[in-house]
Amino acid sequence: MNKLLFLPLFLVVLFVSCDNNDGDDTTIQISNPASYTFERNGNNTVNFNGQTTRLQMGNEIVKALLTPTTSAEQLNAMYGHIQGASNFQDANLNASDKNMRSKTAASVDFFSANTSNQALIRADFDAWLSAQVVEIFPNWQVRATPGVAGQIPDGSATRYINSKGLEFDQLWTKGLIGALVTDQILNNYLSTAVLDEGSNRADNDADITVDGNSYTNMEHKWDEAYGYVYGLNANAANPNADLGADDFLNKYIGRVEGDDDFKGIADEIFQAFKLGRAAIVAKEYEVRDEQAAIIKLKISEIIGIRSVYYLQQAKNLLGQEVPDFGAAFHDISEGYGFIYSLQFTRKPNSNEPYFSKAEVDALLVDLMNDGPNGLWDVNLSTLENMATAIAARFEFSLEEASE
Amino acid sequence: MKKYIFGVVFIALIWACTSENEEVAVDPDTTVSFERAAMLSNWADNIIIPSYDAFAVEITALNTAYTSFKSDATITNLQNFRKSWLSAYKMWQRVSMFEIGPAESVGLRLNMNIYPTDTQKIDGLMTSGTYDLTLSSNRNVKGFPALDYFINGLGVDDDAIIAKFKDENKQARFGYIDAVLANMTTLTDNVVAAWKSSYRNVFVSNNGASATASVDRFVNDYIFYYEKFLRAGKMGIPLGVFTGTPIPKNVEAYYEGQISNELFLEGLDATQDFFNGKYFGVDQTGESLATYLDALNSVKNGEDLNKIINAQFNAARTAVSALGSFRSEIENNTPPSAMFLAYDEVQKIVPLLKVDMVSAMSISIDFVDADGD
Repeated sequence: MNKLLFLPLFLVVLFVSCDNNDGDDTTIQISNPASYTFERNGNNTVNFNGQTTRLQMGNEIVKALLTPTTSAEQLNAMYGHIQGASNFQDANLNASDKNMRSKTAASVDFFSANTSNQALIRADFDAWLSAQVVEIFPNWQVRATPGVAGQIPDGSATRYINSKGLEFDQLWTKGLIGALVTDQILNNYLSTAVLDEGSNRADNDADITVDGNSYTNMEHKWDEAYGYVYGLNANAANPNADLGADDFLNKYIGRVEGDDDFKGIADEIFQAFKLGRAAIVAKEYEVRDEQAAIIKLKISEIIGIRSVYYLQQAKNLLGQEVPDFGAAFHDISEGYGFIYSLQFTRKPNSNEPYFSKAEVDALLVDLMNDGPNGLWDVNLSTLENMATAIAARFEFSLEEASE
Repeated sequence: MKKYIFGVVFIALIWACTSENEEVAVDPDTTVSFERAAMLSNWADNIIIPSYDAFAVEITALNTAYTSFKSDATITNLQNFRKSWLSAYKMWQRVSMFEIGPAESVGLRLNMNIYPTDTQKIDGLMTSGTYDLTLSSNRNVKGFPALDYFINGLGVDDDAIIAKFKDENKQARFGYIDAVLANMTTLTDNVVAAWKSSYRNVFVSNNGASATASVDRFVNDYIFYYEKFLRAGKMGIPLGVFTGTPIPKNVEAYYEGQISNELFLEGLDATQDFFNGKYFGVDQTGESLATYLDALNSVKNGEDLNKIINAQFNAARTAVSALGSFRSEIENNTPPSAMFLAYDEVQKIVPLLKVDMVSAMSISIDFVDADGD
């Protein structure tokens, strides 16, 4: 009986486009499958191996960042992996020609003609990896105090912070949610500059597939965007059952979905990916771009919501009768990475992020600037004001994102 | 002394249909008065501080029994050490819930009782001879669970355990226990001293009704303890309620093997006694969550909420008392159905406290499930 589940269930969706005033209404027919499953002549056309590989590399680096015997050279070699080098525990990753560093701040829309920012951003990630080894690991068995790196309790967990209260592993991981995952999805693969590059549209119209593959170039680009979100889910065709499959965007779509104020957002993102892909099959590019706009809005919101959430949580923790520094610093460190990620968000139907790099840089300076010891000195009003300023750029409210 | 009036029901009649004037009428018959200050004094003076005092006495006795064992590692001295450990561990169950103020500052609960303890790490640290048990990363290698390992887990019987305290590593072993006990003693003494020197008045005088008032905060801490540490920590997690896989190694006092129920029941008694405002060690009660509910005239389905909650505490006690040791229930039954049924009775108290009681008292719950990363 279970086999029934694998039968392609097609839903025929009728779109009536009414936005033309000249009475030029058209009816579009798109076969929207129930799951992210697409075939051509009986062959699967969905492929995002490269994205899965990079997410797996990321998960290994996240672990290595908290293993104090790791060297800075090892971390940087993992991040900038060269094919064949023995950087990972998983042999398949060592054999891969992919790495994370070359896809950091690497989108066509934002960085193809902005290599100076690209270099600055990559330098940040390189520096955070090195700093973990140079500043944190030597003080692994030291109690952190203002101005001194070391360990600090956060509930039953122990966190490892620098002299100003920041966890570099959180900066790196949460920062890459923006600089790699979101940037690649929103500003690269869902960009018309990529989807419609060269003869992609004509090829897709004519069902001309990529040599040796069953997909068209445009289909593949869209799937690569999809793979950065769902590449590690157990059943990537129906991914929302196990959100949290990676340490990057997937996990935080799950977290935001878990907030009643945003319930449904995970399905909205998934449905937009699926319908957009179905629209490519149906050669309906307007529908495709409408779905891309929804994805841009919703994924940008995930980053905005988490930025606000962590700042507000930290404010509450520091405002208690007994301030919980460990838990608050952990939240702010995650928040720091999400705020960093804001520069890679994308306002739908524009070429702009919700916050520019200059604005993000200024926010992060503010966050660390209330006293000589960074977060140990942070004012509650700094956290509140920053959360308010971030929420103001989005459609969600401060209150919705705070709990 | 009707200074503090809480849970007041206002019947507001607003006459503003045709004019700009507004009038608000309060029906005095629905006014309930309950003195939160009196409840806080009862908590601090008759329950919390006497309980901490008794715990400090237990810790002293534990040190004494250990000193005898260290000077002469006989079976009798091991058994006495073990007896003092159990007695102190039971008293711990009566203070573990008070994680507010001084205990919250030092994180007393997670310093005293993280289990399972990491025995591999203990052996490594012990051999290395260099360790700082005050570091948060070492909380899983000290406290009562680490002592459980040393006095119950080093061998199959007392002779085998004693042999470990006579072999070539005995100095390292004694040195490590010295450090564990010193850490437990310092933490306890500091918390007790802080309650007596200043926190008692801070706690009692913060007698308002707001998210930062003592009653609101402590009721949250109390329910948090019941839900996360008593219900989940002692039963739910080893049962595999949240993961689907039972983990017998996660029962409290795993190496002793027989007393996890006893420790649980002590904790259950402590939470029920606290609910009823029962003085520590004296058969007398004062203002409490129970009398507060009565003053509010809280009923659920036509019955007094106070009575419902006490009846459920009693049902939970009856169910858990009928079980074999948690370790054997989990290890010898697949699935451990009897313990699951008992767990269900323990669980039923959670919504009564966390929903019915707090809504009657207009207290909001301030804890959510942690982020988990």
